[in-house]
Order: sequence, then C-alpha cells, then structure tokens
Amino acid sequence: MNAQATVTSITSPAMRHRPRFVMALLALAIVFIPLPTGSGVPGSRDMHIAAAQYNFSPGIIRVDQGDQVTIELESMDVVHGLYLDGYDLEVTADPGQTTSLSFIADKSGTFRFRCSVTCGPLHPFMIGKLKVGNNTLLWRGMALAVLAAAVGLWKVRQ
Amino acid sequence: MEGPPVTRSTDSRQARYDLTRIPVAKALLVNRWPQFLIRALALSGFLFAIVAGLGGTPVGSRNFSIVFVWIAWWALLILVAVPLAGRGWCTVCPIPMPGEWLQNRALLGPSGKKPPFGLGRKWPKGLRNIWVQNGAFALMALFSAVVLTQPVVTAVILAALLLVATGSSMIFERRAFCRYLCPVGGFIGLYSQTAPIEVRVRDTAVCATHTTKSCYTGSEDGFGCPWGAFPGGLVKNTYCGACLECLRTCPLDNIAINIRPAGADLSQLRGRKLDEAFKAFIMLGSAFVYSAVMLGPWGQLKTAAYGIGSLPWLLYVLAFLVFVFGLLPGLFYVASRASRTLAPTRHTPRRIFVAYAYALVPLGLAAWIAFSLSFVFTNASYILPVLSDPLGWGWNLFGTAGYDWTPFFTQMLPVLQTLVLVVGLAWAGITARRIAQEGNHPAAWRQAIPINLFCLMVTIGFLWLFIG
Amino acid sequence: MVIHRLRAEWAARLLLIFLVSGLFVAIMAGRNTAQAVEVHAVMPESGGWMPGNLSAEVNVPLDLRLTSDDVMHGFAVGQQPWPAVAVVPGQFTDLSLIFDEPGIYTYYCTRWCGLNHWRMRGTIEVTGKASDQSSTGSTRQPLYLTLDLDIDASHEVDVQLERPPSAAHGEKLDFTIPSRILTREHYLEQTPFEFWMALRADPGTADLSDTELWDLVAFAWHSQATPDSLLLGQRLYDQNCAACHGDKGNGEGVMARPNLAQSDPDSFGRALLPPGDFTDAQKMLGASSALLQGKIVRGGMGTGMPYWGTIFTADEIQALVDYIWTFMFPLTAGE
Repeated sequence: MNAQATVTSITSPAMRHRPRFVMALLALAIVFIPLPTGSGVPGSRDMHIAAAQYNFSPGIIRVDQGDQVTIELESMDVVHGLYLDGYDLEVTADPGQTTSLSFIADKSGTFRFRCSVTCGPLHPFMIGKLKVGNNTLLWRGMALAVLAAAVGLWKVRQ
Repeated sequence: MEGPPVTRSTDSRQARYDLTRIPVAKALLVNRWPQFLIRALALSGFLFAIVAGLGGTPVGSRNFSIVFVWIAWWALLILVAVPLAGRGWCTVCPIPMPGEWLQNRALLGPSGKKPPFGLGRKWPKGLRNIWVQNGAFALMALFSAVVLTQPVVTAVILAALLLVATGSSMIFERRAFCRYLCPVGGFIGLYSQTAPIEVRVRDTAVCATHTTKSCYTGSEDGFGCPWGAFPGGLVKNTYCGACLECLRTCPLDNIAINIRPAGADLSQLRGRKLDEAFKAFIMLGSAFVYSAVMLGPWGQLKTAAYGIGSLPWLLYVLAFLVFVFGLLPGLFYVASRASRTLAPTRHTPRRIFVAYAYALVPLGLAAWIAFSLSFVFTNASYILPVLSDPLGWGWNLFGTAGYDWTPFFTQMLPVLQTLVLVVGLAWAGITARRIAQEGNHPAAWRQAIPINLFCLMVTIGFLWLFIG
Repeated sequence: MVIHRLRAEWAARLLLIFLVSGLFVAIMAGRNTAQAVEVHAVMPESGGWMPGNLSAEVNVPLDLRLTSDDVMHGFAVGQQPWPAVAVVPGQFTDLSLIFDEPGIYTYYCTRWCGLNHWRMRGTIEVTGKASDQSSTGSTRQPLYLTLDLDIDASHEVDVQLERPPSAAHGEKLDFTIPSRILTREHYLEQTPFEFWMALRADPGTADLSDTELWDLVAFAWHSQATPDSLLLGQRLYDQNCAACHGDKGNGEGVMARPNLAQSDPDSFGRALLPPGDFTDAQKMLGASSALLQGKIVRGGMGTGMPYWGTIFTADEIQALVDYIWTFMFPLTAGE
C-alpha cells in the first residue's frame, strides 16, 4: 500500500543476467576442472602396427599415460610412414624392414597418427588413433555440448 | 555528419551497418574493375587447375588441381568466405563468367541496346528449386574419394562445370547455372543465411514508387539481377549471389550492403522450403559420412568409397543415400513431431519439420568447418611446394619445391574442432528456440527441446568422430 | 561516356586474353625439352619403368630425370658402384650416368613398391668402343655352373637336431679344425652336412657329441665370413630379401603373408610357392654356398624368386650367402 515501497523487480539486471553467469561458470568449470588422465603404474608397451594401402592395423591402439611406448611399424606393401599428431614424431618403414618408434606417452588424450610417405591416392586419409589414458578432451567436449544445447533453451537472450 | 547513419531494415528491429555509406567502399564495389580483375585471375587459376589436372603429375599432393582446389580454395571458402561473407565467393566466382560475358556480349558493363546473346529461355517452372543442386552435390559426394585425390578427375569435373555453365548461359536467360545447377552454390546459398553481411534495399517504400525497377530489368549502368531476384523483395541471402549489379543499376541509391548480426536470416518466417531443408540434411549427413570415411581409422571404408563400381562401393552408396536422405531426416521428423506435441500449434507436421530444419544450418556449417580444419591443417604444407612446381614437372619457381610435408597445429586441432562444434550447437539451439517462439505462446519454447536433443546427439557423434 | 566505356571494355578484353594466353605460354615454356630422358616409375602392375629401355653411348653422359607417379620407388643400376637414389612421387631426381664399357645394364627399383616390386627392371643398352684395358672385374663363371650343380634338385638331408647349432658354442669348444677339412673351397662347395660327416670321420672329434659337432660346423661357417661381408650382406638382405624371406629368414616376409589390401597373391595370375625358409635344417644343411649362390644368381625355380645375376656383383652375392648362413647358424648362444 505504501506507494514508496520498493518492489524488487523480477527483471532487475542482476536476475536477468544470472543465467548467463551460471552458464559461464559452468563452462569454465567444465573446461578447467582437473580430471583423471588415466596414468597407471608407468609400464612398457610394445605395439606392432602393420601399414598397408590405406590402413593401419590395428587402427586403434591404447596405452596408459606415462608408459614407455615402442611402436613397431611394418609395411605390408609399399613404403609407408607414421606421423603422430600432438607428439610430432615420425618414422618410415620399407616392406621387409620393420622400424621402431620409442617415446614416453606423457600427454594424455587421443592422438591421430597418419601415413607420412606418399603411398598412393588415398595417402592423406590413411589414419589411425593412439589413445593415451583418458580422453578428457572428449568428456569436456561432450559436457560443453550438453551445456550448449541447454543454452539454446535457456532464456539467455531476450 | 558524425558518421554513417545506422539504417533500419524493414524486417528486423536490429541495427544494420551499411557499408555503402563509406564512400571508398561504395566506389570500390560499384567500379567494375576490382571485381573484374579478381574474376579474371580466378578464371586463369581455374583454367590452370584444369590443365594441371589433365597434364600434370598424377600424384595429387604435388598437383595444383588437387592442392589449390581441395585444400587452398576449399579452406578459403568454408573457413573464411562462407562464415564471414556468405555468398562472397559467388561475387568473384569464375565459373559462370565466360557464359555471362558471351551472353552480355561484353566483359565490363552493358554493351548497348543489343539483346543478350543466346536463346534466353526461361528456366523450367518445375525446376525452380534447388533439388537439382541437391542431387548434384549428393552425386559428387558418392565419388568424392576419387574426386578429391585424382587430378584428372578434378580437372574433368571443373571442365564439366565450366561447360555446363557456359552452355546454360547460351540456352537460358541470366545465370541459370548459378541459381539452379551449381552444386557449390547450393550449399553456399543455404549457409549464407548465417552470414554477418547482406544485400538489401534501404527502404522498400522507395521501391514501391519506382516503376522502372532497373535493379531487375537492367539499365545502361548495369545488368538486371543475373540471379533473377527482385532486390526490393530480398529478405534472405539464399538466392542473392552478391554480384553487385543492383548496386550499380539502382538510380535511387537504395541498395545497401549491411553488416548485420550473424544468422539473422534463420529467423525469417518467409521462404522456408522443403528443398532447402533437405539441403541442410544433405550437408549435415555428408559431413558425417566424410568424417567417418576419410578421417576415421577404418581402412575398409576408405577402400570401399574409392573402389567405384565394386560391390563395397555400391554398399557404401546405399548406406550414404539411406543415411543422408532417410535416416537423418527421418530421425529429425520424429523430433519435429515430438515438438508439435509439446506446445500447441496450428502448423502442419510438414511445416514444422521444414521450419526447424533451419536450426541445422549453423550446425552443419560448424560440422563442415570442423571437418575441413582437420585436413587443411594437416595438408596445408603442400601449398608451398605446389606453388613452385604446380604441375609436378620439376619446376621450382619460388624455391619452395623441396619443402617437406609438415602437419600444422596438430596439438591444437582437436581443441579447435571441439570449440567450433560447441559454438555451432549453441547457435543451432538458439535458432531452434527462436523458431519455436514464433508460436507466440508462453510455452512455445518447449518445442525446441526435441530439436536441441537431436542437435546434441549429432554433435556428440561428430565429437566422437573428430576427437574420440 | 560511351567511348570511355568502349576503351575500358577493350582494355578488359586485352587483359583477359593476356592472362589466359600467358598461362598457356608459361606451361608450354616450362615443358621439359632438355636433353635429359624422363623416366616415370609406377608400380609394376601399372607398367613399372616407363620407358623400360634406354640407350646410351660409352663415355657420353646419360642424363636422366626420374619421377614416380604413385608411390615411393628407388633407382639403381645393377653391378655399378653408383648409390641408389630415391624416386619420389611427384618430384624429380636428376641423375647423370657415364658408362665406361659397352653392354647391357639393368636398372632396378630399390624401394619395395608392392608384391611385384622385384619385377621392376629396365635395361640400358650402351654402345660404343670398349676401352683398351680389359674389364677389371673378373667375369668368371659362377661356381654352380663350374660345379655343374642342379639348383632345382632337392637338397634335403635327413638330420635331426636337438637344438639350433650355435657358432658361439662351437668357438668355446676350442677345437682346431684340420686345415685339410676346412678351406675356403670347402666352405664354398661343400654342404654343411658333408662337412659334418668329414668332421665325424676325423679321429680327433671322437669325444665330441653330434650336437657339438654341429656347433663346430656353425663356428666354421661363421669364421669364413668377415664382419664387413656380414654387414654388407645384412644391408642387402634387409633391402632386397627380407620382404619375402622375412627379417628372421624364416620365409614369412610381409609379401608372403596374405596382404591386408591385396586379394590375389600374384596379380600376374600365377600361383607362387612360399619363399625359402633359411632356418629349415633339412634344406639348409644339404645346401652348399655354391648352391645358394646359384639360386640367387639365376632365380626362377617356379617360386617367384627373382634372378639377381645382373643386379649384384659376385662379392655382393657372396656377402648375402655369408649372411644367410647366420639364420641357420645364429651367432648368439643357442637356446
């Protein structure tokens, strides 16, 4: 009844922007929250990869973070190579001459490896995957995707 | 004058910034020489790509036709031109030019009172949609493994595009090829709806009193809209080819080139069509299939996609067509039916389906950008040696012929792809919500829920393919 | 204003013609019109060396420009000291060869380029006058011809080994082998089995077991090879033989296994027998170095084994033989 009583408007700036703050906070949390990277007791892994036109076999290999990894590359038909994304390592193998690449898998995540020697028309698409520990980027990406889908539904903008 | 006044568009309350108010900008755009020079250079490059593909080395990574078409030009198109300038590539595209120059009997500006050269027939009424372009793109997608890797095949396709464009200019009026046939133009048009730039009239009232409509019929300063659009009626970017003719012909200075909020066209109620909706599915679906086949670790898929005529290839074709034309739209239809039940609406299921399909436009663009980032970053290093030795004949024009293949930014790539996809998803969700709120009902936003879920599922699928 | 337009129009037309024709002129100008012969390499299923025949003259440089149209290849000329060069897809390698003597030379691919890589050979016919001095390399007949060996005949012996013979054990026995039993000729011409029999017959070995005698055989064979020949042999084996015979010499090289991407074992339509197993005691102990040399030189035998007579020099083949024996007679202590 008091005409001078202040009524907190339900559209006051603070409340209108609150969803945005919440979203932003959630996004930051998803991006920066520490997650287990999947490092067990660092062991030694010897993996054998056969390379043929246009396929690595096996195409997906898994190690734990911190492992001493040795990849033996065996070419089955023509000269192939293996370049590992993220680690920036490369090795070439002629058929009959298996070569090795040895490194410590200190970075966790999923890294593509590609053929590094022109081996035919589909050479740029000759790709495999190395999984080191947990793929925390994928988890974060999926969580961000859920957040993004929610953003569309929330009244973030007028 | 404190600066260029902000122009109010007739179809939105949102501000537009008209570039043509800047005298230098307007002069550059109206003058035919800058556009002609770029077109001439692009045409030379295009012809060179054909020659390189036919006569150069069969090794794709050392041939101009593969590296400069599928890596350099494609990167420019999908990473820069389309997201930032919508139909910007169409402004300078060389493919229709020989036909158009023949039609106009001139390279620069109208030649006088002679009628256009050629039969000048009207495009068949039944084909005045983008279904032919949809089919052309899907057809190319079925052969993509060979097209992207064999210089000769790329050359043949480029030559075929040139011949068809020139031929259609001789038979039909205006730019029939660009508007109804070009497979690239089909998706550039769809994705130009997301662009932060548009060509519109400043004030439709001015057009109402202008009887000549020289923007459509042409004048001594320029040609009538080659795309067959009436600039006064443009509300979306989809069928405006950004050729700048109307800027030259309008005698009332009523054409504006606006910087505007990205994606403004997606909320446009008018002009939502089934053929465009299916274009969105074709683009989204083909990005998914390409990501799985070309960027995945499954060699058998690649061999199947490459072995044209073999049984595995036929199975691949079947799977592709079923996924792109059946499964994806089918699932989306289910989602749109669910939307219909979540809030009252007077629209038919088909109309709801088509309307919400426009939410897939930013998602599809994001998917294509994320896909392209992968092979562009890893193979951009081929550009330097091919600059020096475009035909693989052992030249060394700029001294870079010996530059070794070096993938760039492989550590950053998965992060970038994630960001692009997440932004695309958010944008798709916001678009879906905006479309839902056209319903004018307090609970209308709920219709967006199944659509957002669909987009979320698709995005998670892409995330798994790119970074999983 | 109309004249202004017309001038601009013609300027535009000239510019376009200049650009487009300039392009073609540039391409024409850039074509290879040099003296060099362009040789394209593709996988043998698609043609191999193109051209597959070259001609040259004595003491006149043969300029070659080598390129590959598909995968990585290599180029070398048989029995010549020039190092092999890589033939890279889409790039050119320039080479200049000078021949001292007339004759027919064989050039071959040195990087495995598929199942039929070993077929990838071409010939260079060199004409002209021979130099005054006779050729320095002796072209004496390969031993298998001198001995009139039938390299296609079976050379199996029935021997039961308890364990692989070990040259290290043989050395530890500290037994001096009489020189009448072991000479270079014995090593080259006798089979290990014949040598073992000679050892067994010798009274000095009476208190040595059969197995220990095999160790002696292993040691004797090993001592006939020099570290240099073993190094050379290993290098040649890895580059040329391992793909079929396996890096462990057991005949299980990548080319012998069903390939991931290839469905037919031989795209030339013939069935192949598996490559020889150099750890197979029955076959190896009955084979002499001369026999092995013969198989390497002549190939054939319906097995897909190429002939290397025009590719390797006599010393290189001997080095290969020395190395091949290490599969049967490993250097490390036997298990």
